[in-house]
Amino acid sequence: MASLAMIKHPAAIVALALLTALPARAETKGPVTDDNGVVEIPEGEPLMIGSFLALTGADAALGIDARRGIEIALDRVGATYKGHPIEISFEDETCSPEGGQTAATRLASNDQLVAILGPSCSGAARAGVPILWQHKFPVVGVGPTSPTLTDPARGPDFVGFVRVSFNDNATGKFAASYALKGAKTAATLHDGSTYGQQIVRTFEAEFKAQGGTIVAEEAVGPTDTDLRPVLTRIGTKKPDLLFAPLYVAAGAYLVRQREEVDGLKNTKLLATDPIMAPAFMTAAGKAAVDVKMVGIDFRPETLGPAYQKFVETYKSKYGEAPIAGFHAYGYDALGVLMAAIDKVAVEKDGELFIGRDALNKAIHATAGYEGLTGKLTCDHLGDCASPVYAVWQFTSGDAASYSLGTNPKRVD
Amino acid sequence: MNDDTVIARRQNVDGSGHGPSRSGNLLSWLSDAMSEWRRRSTWVDHVMLGLRIALLIIVVAGLTRSLTSNEYSARDWASFAVFGLTLGSIYALVSLGYTMVYGVLRMINFAHGDVFTTGAFGGLIVAGPFIESGSTVGLIGVLVAGASTSAAIAVLIERVAYRAFSRSGSPAPLICAIGASFVLQYTIRGLFGTGSRAYPDVAALNGAISLGIVQIPLVQLFVIAAALLAMAVLHVIVQHTTLGTSMRAVAEDREAAALMGINSDRVVTLTFMVGGTMAGVAGVLYALVFKQIHAFMGFTLGVKGFAAAVLGGIGNIPGAMAGGFLLGLSESFGPAALLSGFGIPAPYQLKDAIAYGLLVMILIFRPRGIFGERLSVKRM
Repeated sequence: MASLAMIKHPAAIVALALLTALPARAETKGPVTDDNGVVEIPEGEPLMIGSFLALTGADAALGIDARRGIEIALDRVGATYKGHPIEISFEDETCSPEGGQTAATRLASNDQLVAILGPSCSGAARAGVPILWQHKFPVVGVGPTSPTLTDPARGPDFVGFVRVSFNDNATGKFAASYALKGAKTAATLHDGSTYGQQIVRTFEAEFKAQGGTIVAEEAVGPTDTDLRPVLTRIGTKKPDLLFAPLYVAAGAYLVRQREEVDGLKNTKLLATDPIMAPAFMTAAGKAAVDVKMVGIDFRPETLGPAYQKFVETYKSKYGEAPIAGFHAYGYDALGVLMAAIDKVAVEKDGELFIGRDALNKAIHATAGYEGLTGKLTCDHLGDCASPVYAVWQFTSGDAASYSLGTNPKRVD
Repeated sequence: MNDDTVIARRQNVDGSGHGPSRSGNLLSWLSDAMSEWRRRSTWVDHVMLGLRIALLIIVVAGLTRSLTSNEYSARDWASFAVFGLTLGSIYALVSLGYTMVYGVLRMINFAHGDVFTTGAFGGLIVAGPFIESGSTVGLIGVLVAGASTSAAIAVLIERVAYRAFSRSGSPAPLICAIGASFVLQYTIRGLFGTGSRAYPDVAALNGAISLGIVQIPLVQLFVIAAALLAMAVLHVIVQHTTLGTSMRAVAEDREAAALMGINSDRVVTLTFMVGGTMAGVAGVLYALVFKQIHAFMGFTLGVKGFAAAVLGGIGNIPGAMAGGFLLGLSESFGPAALLSGFGIPAPYQLKDAIAYGLLVMILIFRPRGIFGERLSVKRM
């Protein structure tokens, strides 16, 4: 290693000292001192929140649905906080690690952002959250469900991350228990995504623990279009059930092409909620009929009257029923964030001061928050949801008929 | 002179001119050839030989292990063949465009993958009403629409982005091609959005027919047949028409062809048109099999088509067709026949690795591709 003496210029030494001092910068602005810095919002200036969601591509419905949830939650608080208008800037994470990285980098360049809502997909979270945490932005996850994100071994990059969406440890267990009702042998197929790999792992563990046999564990690439060879391979094992947590595009290829594979004639299919969207029905056509998915139990009788009212608002605001299963998370994410801001924001002469570390701690301390998806209580690792699952089934392949409750309808 | 001409020359030196007939006794000929090779070879040759032997051992070991494990029935293997041929015929059609343009202009048209996408979308615009009528004529209408869209776009790109640079001898046309690729992708994205669009079901192509032990879906049979027909037509055009003759002449020597009174600009335009037509047909056929199309799908398919062209020997038309089928078959057979023999988990995730591995392997054994470059007898 080069010795410090080699750096001759005094300015360089000062710069070096500043750089090394950077990680533990306690900052004081107005009345607030915070280890991670303070956001100062002058009088009349907006309170700015960032958000990155899957807004384009085959899985756009996931992000757009969540964004609508956020917008409805924003309307509910009048889009202002203590006289400051609330502004949310949305970025597109395209449901991919690369997209997550790009979107997070763009958001990180704006240091006036108080906190971040999103992303939709686990891969984007895996790539994006560490970048945002370098800038000490707390992140409230809207859709990512991969267990690794809130695992004890998740690492220091995820200290600022909580999610209102569920954890796939629970989803995988529920899916396995449901699968065992009609199947003794199962095969799994994922697309190599953070989400798919993790949920398949929890499914397999639970399926085996309850006495089932996993006969094939397969994977495809995220952009593969011809799944028939891999389906033929799975077909040679004659599984009772195929568990395939795929996203929209690969999911549609799967349901269309499985009909062409002889070996899968007697194999039932169980998918998961990323394909619970009209885009999937457009892509899959008639092959979507009877496809079963594991997702959140969105029935009004489970979620209560607040959810019913929310759906009415959604319909009148956007002219259609919710287009995916992520609207409620968007709504709850903003709710949880605003409640936490309310706990830590300090007002002085019309100015607002928010400490980033204090805000992160307040979000993690969320307890008993009455959300649309139930009571939210965040643990120290960042899981806030206590989900109730259901199995849904498409009844028609016509994308226009998409409506949670009838198509897909709840079957278990 | 570049590296691969050196390699090719060396191959000629050690590969030809030593027939068994010359030295009579096969054994003595072999030892002669060995000592001759040892005298002439450099360390590069030794490394290449080692590489080739290692590759052969890996492939043979993988194949025997999978084939003896008896995991798949004869019917499964037959299905793999059909899947491979379907995909391969699409690759072959796409690779023809690369190969023809390279043959005539010595340029890789990287926008060709997106020309393919425009064909699929061009077909989609008319597909709805045509296909809903349920007639076979409608299907041909969709094919024609896709093919003419792609042909028009290909000609337009050539005129706008390539012609001005074609004689400059700089890498400018290559950069223009990449630019044209982006322009096409984002134009389609602007017009149709980022989500997937789906082709409607074609009533005439539903169902399957049994051929011996295997059930072949009609749509795949149609795709293979249509692709073969398109290639046959192309072959006739290139080999038996005046246009084809002038194409071959321009490919061989553009200046000399011009001296013979061939309008080389016109030939180049027509080459792009024919290549575009093939890509458009491929686009529609792809959409008929896989149903989902989106603005960025041309990239991966273009790379595969280009790989197929290189595999067969770029510039060589039969080579491009063979390369396409080989690539398709290796993608469908490879994971089952090669990787599962080694007990590699989830081999289908590595499908593309197999395809590109094959490309590398073939280039190690035959640097000019399977068939070599034939359209271009005279090198630049």
